[in-house]
Amino acid sequence: MLTRWIARREFLERLRDGRLYWAGGLVVVLLLTALAVGWAHQRDARAEQQAAQAMDYHDWLHQDRRHPHDAAHQGMHAFKPEAALAMIDSGINPFIGSTVWLQAHRQSEVKFNAAQDATGLQRFGNLSVGWILQVLGPLLVIVLGFNAFAGEREQGILRQTMSLGVAPMRLLAGKALALAGSLALLLLPAAVVAAIAVTAGAGEGERIDALLRFGMWSFGYAVYLGIFVFGVLGVSAASSTSRMAITLLLALWIAQAVMAPRVLSELSRAWFPSPTRLQFNQALGAELKAVSDRTWQENFGTTERWGRDVPLAKWGLALRLDDQASYPVYDRHYGRLWDTWEQQQEVQEWSGLLLPLLAIRSFSMGMAGTDFAHHRSFTTAAELHRRRIQDLMSADLVAHADPMGDRHFAYQASPGLWATVPPFDYRPPGAGWALTHQLRSLAVLCAGLLLSIVFAAVATRRQRAL
Amino acid sequence: MTKMLSDPSQGRRLLAVMRQECRLMLAERALWAVGALFLALVAYALGNGLVQTANRDRAQAAVAQADRDTRAAQRVLLEGILAGTAQPTPFENPADPSRMASGYGGHHAILPTAPLGPVALGQSDLYPSQYRVTGQSRVVFMNPSDIESPWHLLSGHFDLAFVIVYLLPLLIFALSYNLLSAERENGTLRLLLSQPLRLRTLLAGKLTVRAAVLLGPAVLLPVAVLLVARQAGLAGASGATLWWTLLVGAYALFWFALVVAVNAFGASSATNAMVLVIAWVLLVLVAPVLLNLAVTQASPAPSRTELATRQRIVTAEAMKTHAALMSTDYQHVGRGAVLVPQNGKIEIAGRLLGSYLIERDVDDAIRPELDRFDAQQARQQVLLGRFSAVSPAAVAYEGMTALAGTGSRRQARFEAQTVAHHEAWKRFFFPRIDARDALTPAAFDRIPAFMWHEEPAGLVRGHAARAVLQLLVPSLLLFGLAAWRLRRFSVS
Repeated sequence: MLTRWIARREFLERLRDGRLYWAGGLVVVLLLTALAVGWAHQRDARAEQQAAQAMDYHDWLHQDRRHPHDAAHQGMHAFKPEAALAMIDSGINPFIGSTVWLQAHRQSEVKFNAAQDATGLQRFGNLSVGWILQVLGPLLVIVLGFNAFAGEREQGILRQTMSLGVAPMRLLAGKALALAGSLALLLLPAAVVAAIAVTAGAGEGERIDALLRFGMWSFGYAVYLGIFVFGVLGVSAASSTSRMAITLLLALWIAQAVMAPRVLSELSRAWFPSPTRLQFNQALGAELKAVSDRTWQENFGTTERWGRDVPLAKWGLALRLDDQASYPVYDRHYGRLWDTWEQQQEVQEWSGLLLPLLAIRSFSMGMAGTDFAHHRSFTTAAELHRRRIQDLMSADLVAHADPMGDRHFAYQASPGLWATVPPFDYRPPGAGWALTHQLRSLAVLCAGLLLSIVFAAVATRRQRAL
Repeated sequence: MTKMLSDPSQGRRLLAVMRQECRLMLAERALWAVGALFLALVAYALGNGLVQTANRDRAQAAVAQADRDTRAAQRVLLEGILAGTAQPTPFENPADPSRMASGYGGHHAILPTAPLGPVALGQSDLYPSQYRVTGQSRVVFMNPSDIESPWHLLSGHFDLAFVIVYLLPLLIFALSYNLLSAERENGTLRLLLSQPLRLRTLLAGKLTVRAAVLLGPAVLLPVAVLLVARQAGLAGASGATLWWTLLVGAYALFWFALVVAVNAFGASSATNAMVLVIAWVLLVLVAPVLLNLAVTQASPAPSRTELATRQRIVTAEAMKTHAALMSTDYQHVGRGAVLVPQNGKIEIAGRLLGSYLIERDVDDAIRPELDRFDAQQARQQVLLGRFSAVSPAAVAYEGMTALAGTGSRRQARFEAQTVAHHEAWKRFFFPRIDARDALTPAAFDRIPAFMWHEEPAGLVRGHAARAVLQLLVPSLLLFGLAAWRLRRFSVS
């Protein structure tokens, strides 16, 4: 009862001094703007990708008679489906591209990232609901709560309150409830609008998954803002004046929201360096050649391509052997590169214990389906589809090996062969998979909340009325 | 200010105020803390910039060296083929112009780092700095080529431009938010102004000392380090260094002007601090993001998905057109001699010729689409240039990356030069392929090489001057506002 009374008083105070209207209003306007922009972008991108993917497969099926390897060369495109929650957190999507050309011979990388076409200001960030909550959310908590204890101490109210025998923990609980209530008043309506937009934007059959993801996403932000609620109250309780509290809180906010992402990004890269493009290509090329030579030697007794020992009639067989020998090489090299990136990300997620923004950033894009784990899942599926196309085409070439020895490329497969290749029907992993991949960042956030509560409790217990 | 300096007594008093401010600030821990923090941030950012730039230089040098080694090995093989001591293979035949025009002979176009590169890494990780030019359409090879984790691309670099654009204003606030309000709250302002000292002289003295404390590390340290670390590069870049100094100075002036204007309203120190932080959030964090959004909404980029589909369609059409050639077998199998030039001519296998013609058709068909992308990016940059004045942070950032050679304008120039080089590449190889002319060692030496032509100094100066002006105008307006408010400033 007393806790609720304290919370009510605090809440009314914040309404009276206008902070909730001005600071909160600004954040809500930005949130709704970001949501509208994200929704429009996602609607267009999804429609365009679905149409392009369908047209791509239609054109594949309706090819004339032709040589299967030429068909494999023309290949197909795989378009990464825009995740339902990309409208609230676009994550790494603008920087990584969304289209893979599935062609013969080589594993392709995803092309056409939006950053390629962006202006020089993209470094300042992309306006998204996630960005606003991550960067401006803690600032809102600071503005609303920096003087919760320190201000009352300056005015002498704290002394009076404590002299009435109010337990410090009750005071903390009341103030935390008021702060959380203020945030809920601002953010819950925006969350309801976002939930409706996410549900409306999700495709048939993925609505429940989208809502589950949104629920967990919201929970992550509740924990993240909770860390700041208790952190701000703790600092306010430990500071002798509101001026000192706001100075310290702003310094902490700048360190975690503005500086930390860049500093940790540089440090994680120094700890787990990625190869340069030249190094990567040279290592991949050298191993591909060695593996191919070994395969030819084992199967044909020579490494000379297309001589008397290996006539073109064996093209299909050689192609299949080469392709299948190359698959583990690609898996190893790309796997190693992607593992390095995930190690770099891991460093940043652990740093979230002290710098919660890094943990919530990872959790947010993970639940939104716009993180690297989701991207890797798509790229792997696209590559498996490419291999399926190659294997089917090579099998047909083996089956129709030229008996005359010099008419190999004159062979033309019938359109029935094209229909043996299924459409690229990629289903992104579900909410449970996403959560499993984000357990570390969620655990870090929860541990951060616990630490923050302990800090606030200790600071409040040491509270002196003067 | 002119009046103040023309008045000898005020000039002496200005010096006295500065001396006094120096003494007061040195006695305070705040100056030492802020100064040391800023120095550490500048040193880390600069060191990071130098390391990243050196890594990039090394990676580019390795790419160029690999190109040279490959070309030299191909030349040796060509001489061997012509002398009859070496036998080419169909895919590795330096005498065959269709092979040398393709990935086998492809060479990189490289954008070198600029002398001021370490001060602003800018978009250098997002924009490709090297393209492997071949006879294929540029839609195939003009794509991001460097390997970089998307997390890093999202985060950006900790470089000097970041420290200046984001953190310098905060340090200016830390030293100056209570420029007049503290004196008034302590009661010393009344005492000071009872002396023959103008309020403006007092303000100028305080500002000069604070500016010196911050601009020393922000400008002098980087210039000195760059002179030592990249002395060769800086020889021809003194103009850019000067404009960079002016730009940082103008950006700092804007924030000092804001501090003075806020102080001139006579509110308490706490209110001043709050107003300044809100202004920083709006101008540095929110305005550039909204500006970026407005520009991309007003002038959206064409669809890359559509481009991918178009690329597939034109490739399919070209493959259909040249299906007859694609159905021919490699003629060399069992007849290695056809790969060797005869009387300056060479037979090109049907499939290889077919691939060349397909790539040529794709290039012709896709070029208008790519031109649309280039035109769109140019339009976005024009819009940005026009409206970036709404955020001094955007002006300063764009200006610094432009001077450091890591901005959009230099990148667009690199891409235009790569396109021109691609045209020269095609002009060299395509007629030879069409005429079946075998490459000779002499022709080998005439294969077009990419030469980067740096931006004209006048263009760099012009854009930098515009950025400085875009910062000076609002600064002067703020100083004007401050002067107007200071006339009615109450000292009690």
